[in-house]
Amino acid sequence: MGLTAAGCGAGSGAGGDGTVTIRYAWWGSDDRAERINETIRLFEKKHPKIRVKTDFQPYLDFWKKFNTQASGGNPPDVFQNAIGFLRKYDEKNVLLDLRPQAEAGNLRMRGFRAGLEKFGEVDGKLLGVPVGSNSMALVIDRAVFAKAGITPEPGWTWGEFQAAMAKIRDTQGRAGDSGLYGVMYLYDLHLRQHGKAFFTKDGLGFTEADLTEWWTAARAGVRSGVHADPKKVAQIKPKSAVAGELAAAEFTWDNFTIRYTSEGKSQYGLAPIPTTDGRRTGQYLGSLMLSASRRTKHPEEVARFIDFMVHDPEVGKIMGYDRGVPATTTQYEAFTPTDEVNRQIAAYEQQLVDSGVLEPITPHPAGADVAEAAFLRIAEDMALGKRSVAEAVAQFFTEAKTALGS
Amino acid sequence: MGNTVTQHRPASSGPPAKGAAGPAAPPVPTGGARAHRSRRRGDNLAGYLFMSPWLAGFLLLTAGPMVASLYFAFTDYDLFDAPRWIGLKNFTDMFADPRWRTSVEVTLWYVVIGTPLKLAAALGVALLLNQKRRGQSFYRAAFYAPSLIGASVSVAIVWKAIFSDDAIVDRAQRALFGVDVGGWTGDPDWILYSLVALTVWQFGAPMVIFLAGLKQVPRELYEAAEVDGAGAWRRFWSITLPMISPVLFFNVLLETIHSFQIFGSAYILGGQGGTCGPADATLVYTCYLYVQGFENSRMGFASAMAWMLLLAVGLVTAVLFWSQRRWVHYEEAAR
Repeated sequence: MGLTAAGCGAGSGAGGDGTVTIRYAWWGSDDRAERINETIRLFEKKHPKIRVKTDFQPYLDFWKKFNTQASGGNPPDVFQNAIGFLRKYDEKNVLLDLRPQAEAGNLRMRGFRAGLEKFGEVDGKLLGVPVGSNSMALVIDRAVFAKAGITPEPGWTWGEFQAAMAKIRDTQGRAGDSGLYGVMYLYDLHLRQHGKAFFTKDGLGFTEADLTEWWTAARAGVRSGVHADPKKVAQIKPKSAVAGELAAAEFTWDNFTIRYTSEGKSQYGLAPIPTTDGRRTGQYLGSLMLSASRRTKHPEEVARFIDFMVHDPEVGKIMGYDRGVPATTTQYEAFTPTDEVNRQIAAYEQQLVDSGVLEPITPHPAGADVAEAAFLRIAEDMALGKRSVAEAVAQFFTEAKTALGS
Repeated sequence: MGNTVTQHRPASSGPPAKGAAGPAAPPVPTGGARAHRSRRRGDNLAGYLFMSPWLAGFLLLTAGPMVASLYFAFTDYDLFDAPRWIGLKNFTDMFADPRWRTSVEVTLWYVVIGTPLKLAAALGVALLLNQKRRGQSFYRAAFYAPSLIGASVSVAIVWKAIFSDDAIVDRAQRALFGVDVGGWTGDPDWILYSLVALTVWQFGAPMVIFLAGLKQVPRELYEAAEVDGAGAWRRFWSITLPMISPVLFFNVLLETIHSFQIFGSAYILGGQGGTCGPADATLVYTCYLYVQGFENSRMGFASAMAWMLLLAVGLVTAVLFWSQRRWVHYEEAAR
């Protein structure tokens, strides 16, 4: 094996014996790295003519490196991708339309859960294939919630949520939640409950008045101690405020629950998103995807690789819920969670599907990633008291307009 | 180099030409001079050949990118699409951008507070180490060590750990002064000072230079002053300081320029997620430049920022050079 690899040369060229090397880049933790390496060993065993070279970084570093590589005409052949980047890189002609490969039978687009096969489509092009899905949730410290006597039920309202947070602050000696003002995806849900959305196809789907209202409430929550002290939250990063016992709850993606268990001492669980009308949560499934580079010399091999990664049941077993609940039914059925946290994630998503609250996702325009980063940063400035709400709102709209080019 | 060769071979510059005119006429440069010239050319060639690695590096890695960056500064360039000429728009955008103004303010604060403190620490320790004591070389090494490892990422990470909430600095503050700041690194009002503390701690390099300067001050001056009854402070003020003023000038210049270019420690101390400190509290100039270039893909804007920094540093350097006439004393002989 070593000899064949050495003989065929480095880079993404074809070897003398027809062996092809493709580069696969993704972001994530060391734990994900181990899982992914295991899936790649399996892939190379089943496809002896294809070698896979991997490259990974933490999320933000990943995109900096990717940007530089892609602009230099040397992006990885296949890479992990997310909704916020689809249009951006499509506009830059970086992404390969995988439709022809699907039509040629190298990539099966059937057997996806809950309509996920549509997730990577932009203007009729197939730019990404989902590997797993997740949804926003309220991660809670179950011990604290139990002691405070709070049991969140699906359909609870924002008023009930605020009352619960205040009760935790008053009885448990810690803040209710870690600060929801900067979580763009949560604000999106709140907007959707009111018939709006964070993004439209080419810009922002809300007004300065909407954001003023959201951040004014957030500011009040910080002052009254319902939200955790943003200074303390900043201090313990990258540890989360819930695991650091600064807050009893935090809005985030449901599959992130796994990380809380390794960070903190308590038991963590998932609670539903509060609603406005007692029913509509505005939720949709988010997803990590695999995309391919338009410059790849081996579109067929790349398609086969993606196909393997999303459909192979063994891969489903190895990856578990690391990248969300597996996107295809074969992988979903191959992995039965045995531990408490993964079981809760499965139950949470099942409940979302069963209750029929899931809606289609709104499009993310090019520049959505930069707008999101600005939202998070400016919200923190506001929470720290460095900017008034009015200044923060004005600053966000200025930066978002630059980023979205609108 | 070519000139030296000429001077070394004055007489033997070939046989006298056949058509030599008068006796006073200089030897006509014919064959011999030609050999001479070609030899000179050969020498030059060898010179350039030996220089070529540096020259290639300079052209490819410094001059080329600089010219390109100057061009990009007047364009809208996101790395993917071809740069689009927009004239001075990057510069006008820059002045209108509140985050850019924040970055200028933060950097100036850092330079104005950090540089004098660092130099004072360096000079103070150099004065102590200049005395004859046992184990001096150990102390010198110990004080110099932080600036050797200082540029590394790991030190900034350690610094972050030391200054964060409920860490050693926070506890010491509570125990000694009874104040609870809650850690410096998460607090927008304090984090810049932990950055300043980090740079002051790395005073080793200027200290070594000060030490070298102090060794050059003639002992007789002190002896003479002592005879005249000058105290320690007076000797420092009237002898030491003027005598080491060229070294001081050098250190001020170098450290100021360095301070303007601070990046790594600010970026790491300021936390992850591409933020440069809570509420942009450590948003130093280069940090914002990096964010615009590599996170927001605004390479044109980032280039414009880089040239603005060059101009500013150039200006500060010029002012320092201009000011040295008033306070830097060179010995007459040294001129």
